[in-house]
Amino acid sequence: MNFNPETDLILERIVPVAPELVWAAWTQPEHLKKWFAPRPWTVSDCQIDLRVGGLCQTTMRSPEGQEFPNTGCYLEIIPHRKLVFTDALGADFRPNEKAFFTATILLEPHGTGTKYSAIAMHKDQASRQQHEEMGFHVGWGICLDQLVEMVLQDG
Amino acid sequence: MPKQLLEYNQLFHALADPTRRAVIERLGQGSASASQLMTPFSMALPSFMQHLNVLEQSGLVHSTKTGRVRTYSLETKAIQQVENWLSQQRHLWEQRLDQLDQYLPQLAKEKNHEF
Repeated sequence: MNFNPETDLILERIVPVAPELVWAAWTQPEHLKKWFAPRPWTVSDCQIDLRVGGLCQTTMRSPEGQEFPNTGCYLEIIPHRKLVFTDALGADFRPNEKAFFTATILLEPHGTGTKYSAIAMHKDQASRQQHEEMGFHVGWGICLDQLVEMVLQDG
Repeated sequence: MPKQLLEYNQLFHALADPTRRAVIERLGQGSASASQLMTPFSMALPSFMQHLNVLEQSGLVHSTKTGRVRTYSLETKAIQQVENWLSQQRHLWEQRLDQLDQYLPQLAKEKNHEF
């Protein structure tokens, strides 16, 4: 993978549950809905057609009740090991109007648990329309909360 | 105190108030006049203007006056100083994965009951 530190993120976690469960959390709507939106946002709708070219759609609802649908499709699926999806394409690879990211989730057994990595490759800053629309508010809510915590600790 | 640190202190002070944070989030959707910004708050005008002044002094927002209307906008540079967009994405992903990590043991418990 050609990692670009200016636009890409890689996050690694170790969890005490089997890869099959982590896989289920990523690929079954009833599970994904429980954690995918950063609180207080929620996922109001989630559709998953788990095949290469299959639809992957999540609708995020803001605390004020505004909804932001995100439509993408799966690019690579290796059960319990690797999942790649993007919002650049919709169902059956039909190009989307806006493209923002491609995400790769890698899972591997780690003792009795799982080590997983989430890699997000973003389009450059100049054309981050979706970020402006949705991510801005999500991201800001979170980063402001963290800043406040920091200020309160320092004070 | 080094100038940079002084600026950060001002930024954090400006951000450490819920009214001022709400104003910043509102300005994230676009520029607005003082009266538009004030609408959601039950606050006297002088108190609200004080909040706007703190925000402006911190460099997080700037204002321009046309006729009798003063319009406030976010100062992109100051915001980049606090957090660039990639760090915002990182926060988003970190919170998402924190929530996943919290959810997984619960899911494991449910699955065990099924078998």
